[in-house]
Amino acid sequence: MKIKEGFILREVAGDVVVLPSGDLEINAMITLNETAAFLWRAMEKEITREELIAASMKEYNVDEKTAAEAIDSFVEQLKTNDFLAE
Amino acid sequence: MISLLSKDIRLEQVMPLIRERLAEGKKVIFGPKGTSMLPMLRQGIDRVELVAVKGKLKKYDLPFYVRDNGQYVLHRIVKVRDTYTCIGDNQYVYEHGVRQDQIIAVMTGYYRGDEYISAKSWRYRWYCRRWHWTRPIRPFWRRLKGKLVRLIRGKK
Repeated sequence: MKIKEGFILREVAGDVVVLPSGDLEINAMITLNETAAFLWRAMEKEITREELIAASMKEYNVDEKTAAEAIDSFVEQLKTNDFLAE
Repeated sequence: MISLLSKDIRLEQVMPLIRERLAEGKKVIFGPKGTSMLPMLRQGIDRVELVAVKGKLKKYDLPFYVRDNGQYVLHRIVKVRDTYTCIGDNQYVYEHGVRQDQIIAVMTGYYRGDEYISAKSWRYRWYCRRWHWTRPIRPFWRRLKGKLVRLIRGKK
């Protein structure tokens, strides 16, 4: 799994925001919470679901089930917003 | 986890981003707030496309600029001298003395709903001129229209 090319993360007004690297559409900017920002950064390179779960468990000191649920939910949102590379 | 950026975000908060993208030669698209540019721009519905300014602007151009009090404005140029005179399409009080250094970007087109209209299109150019030329008579026309409507309703 990997995030598509062409997006960068920036901090804007205290929020972590996903920006396209091209033209900027202010009203369509997406914010990420802290966990989502962590997962996003991990997925900027190719990574498996299992590697992502392991990284989350280490970072947030949570069990595998909790980490897996958060990741699956996040990945679904990435798919919905067309951020995942094919 | 993912959400659209708050619609209440203030322009001041994203200005560094906007300036950065314009300096890179990219476009910036956003939906302006307020009613000063009606009927062309409807708050919450329409969006403008801006690019960095290159040189002096012309009459009827629509610049995005910052006032000396820090307020960001998107109003039309109606006179060009050493400075610009600007006014919103829905306004009657002119703003004189807008300097070149206050101007951040200029509109190259806008989205009326989902339809894109270029600032170079004949339709837009005619709208700018027609709307500005009829400004002096619009208040009288509105009052006359109001009276006619009340007259017609009174007869029914």
